[in-house]
Amino acid sequence: MRRRQFLQAGIAGAGAAQFGCSSQESLAAGPPGQSAVAILKATSYSADLPALLRRGAQLCGLGAKGKRVLLKPNLVEFASNAAINTHVAVIAAAVELFHSLGAAEVLIGEGPGHRRDTIALAEEAEYRRGIAQFDSLFVDLNRDDVSPLRGFADLPEIYLPNTALKADLIVSLAKMKTHHWAGATLSMKNFFGIVPGSVYGWPKNQLHQIGIDRSIAELHRVLPRSFAIVDGIVGMEGNGPIQGDPKSVGVLVMGSDLISVDATCCRIMGIDPERVEYIRITAERGHAHPGRIDQRGESIQSVQTKFALIDALKNVRLA
Amino acid sequence: MSDFLTSRLDFLRATQNADGGWGFFPGKQSWLEPTAYALIALHTDPSSRPSFERGWNLMRSWQMPDGSWKPCAAVQEPHWTTALCVTLHELRGVYDQPFQRGVGWLVGTSGIENGLRFRFAHFLRPSVVELDPSFKAWPWRPGNASWIEPTAHALVALKKARNAGTNPRIEERIRMGEKMILDRRCGDGGWNYGNRKVLGTDLPSYPETTALALLGLAGNPALNLAAPLAVAQRYLRETRSPLAKALLGVSLRSYSITAAPSELLAGKDTLINALEIIGASGALA
Repeated sequence: MRRRQFLQAGIAGAGAAQFGCSSQESLAAGPPGQSAVAILKATSYSADLPALLRRGAQLCGLGAKGKRVLLKPNLVEFASNAAINTHVAVIAAAVELFHSLGAAEVLIGEGPGHRRDTIALAEEAEYRRGIAQFDSLFVDLNRDDVSPLRGFADLPEIYLPNTALKADLIVSLAKMKTHHWAGATLSMKNFFGIVPGSVYGWPKNQLHQIGIDRSIAELHRVLPRSFAIVDGIVGMEGNGPIQGDPKSVGVLVMGSDLISVDATCCRIMGIDPERVEYIRITAERGHAHPGRIDQRGESIQSVQTKFALIDALKNVRLA
Repeated sequence: MSDFLTSRLDFLRATQNADGGWGFFPGKQSWLEPTAYALIALHTDPSSRPSFERGWNLMRSWQMPDGSWKPCAAVQEPHWTTALCVTLHELRGVYDQPFQRGVGWLVGTSGIENGLRFRFAHFLRPSVVELDPSFKAWPWRPGNASWIEPTAHALVALKKARNAGTNPRIEERIRMGEKMILDRRCGDGGWNYGNRKVLGTDLPSYPETTALALLGLAGNPALNLAAPLAVAQRYLRETRSPLAKALLGVSLRSYSITAAPSELLAGKDTLINALEIIGASGALA
């Protein structure tokens, strides 16, 4: 066990599982072929987001006809003036998108990691006001019925919400943010909110105990029917994922290969995905290499916006 | 009985599942947490006796061989809600073998901070998460770290269990648990889930966890809690979370402070309905 891994495992219990990120090691090539990732410019939340998402869906070849779709936003904290949560306009546009694509069902689900009152959080984030029939669409994943799924890291099973297990497609509606342990929190890390607090607590300390990176990789493995829409219209830099500062980037990033989407977002943020441990360890299942990502819409260079990083993360800066 | 309480009691009686338990929401699978809170809420109401007995029987059937309780039928693991079951036994005056085994599990369970690996890692990087790892407290589930909410519930259970004179280690665990809660208090005077400072940055407290921390500390006259009680009363006035308001009502009642009935909607949330009854009746005070 390397020193860093030892420290991670040791302090993981208190919610601090990472110390910087990966040493430079080459990424796995991943499966044959390429993954399409769409980058769309969206200057503000008052832009025509439904039209932008429809264009992104076309660029990615997304189909959802007849599917049960679960939209998983990043709803973390009460802070209406901070860029912590996925913006309500992006979620409302996603609901419209999947209905227009012929989805059989569109639900919204989230299980915040620190706060117990998910509905009050949704109220504060203006989800109830900004999304038509929100109460009938929303499932508190922390308190949903659960079923076991065999094998998760070293655990014999993990219990996950039935709403997530029954979904044909889980859409990670993530926020583009730095993360003081993991480097960046994007579409894959957003799946932490699927793990139910009713079993694992607030915070979901078992995931820290396993290791944040490994848990991200395992959730990506056990929830493969997924799609990503990352809200980078206003992201968060500095001491993310909660206490950082808003960062205007003006983009939405979409794709069905979450590894490619997260690697693309990192490059937009000025973060080297090869130094983000969870991208490195999942790379064999998707495409993180720029040469294996079919970048559609805008180019990375045209939207690249260097995010401020805390000192502990200086080593993940893209050269 | 006020309309406020009647409507919540009616809600609980009407939403009990066929197996005797309650889901977090009507029509969902039974979980121990809403079931235990519903039973604490109903246990002094004579007209709810049949409902209480069905729930009690389900709760008793979920005890595991190691003395802990599992959180629901689908999850075969020891769980922090064991503390709620021990408290429920005490409220009912039942001190039989299942109770004793539950107390034994609580007394024998602690977070991983006391382990050599954690303490060494914390020694090398103390600023990552500021805490004193020497205080033995309670995790959400075995093998994890200690946090405010499970610790508060364990303290409530063990403080009541000390009257039954059952386990010589109870006093020591109460003393250490209280120290842990005091150690994790945030700079703003309240508590969050259990990290007051991370990477040198102060973290804010939350209303619901401030309520629970104070509930766990209640009953110790040696503690000067005037400042955090003032924080809790401010939260009670300001929070827009029905769950936080209900928990604050329960907690402040332990300090002989009665909260006015919440003007926020309990809706179809079992926990909120039950906690509002508990706060009004003082069942945990």
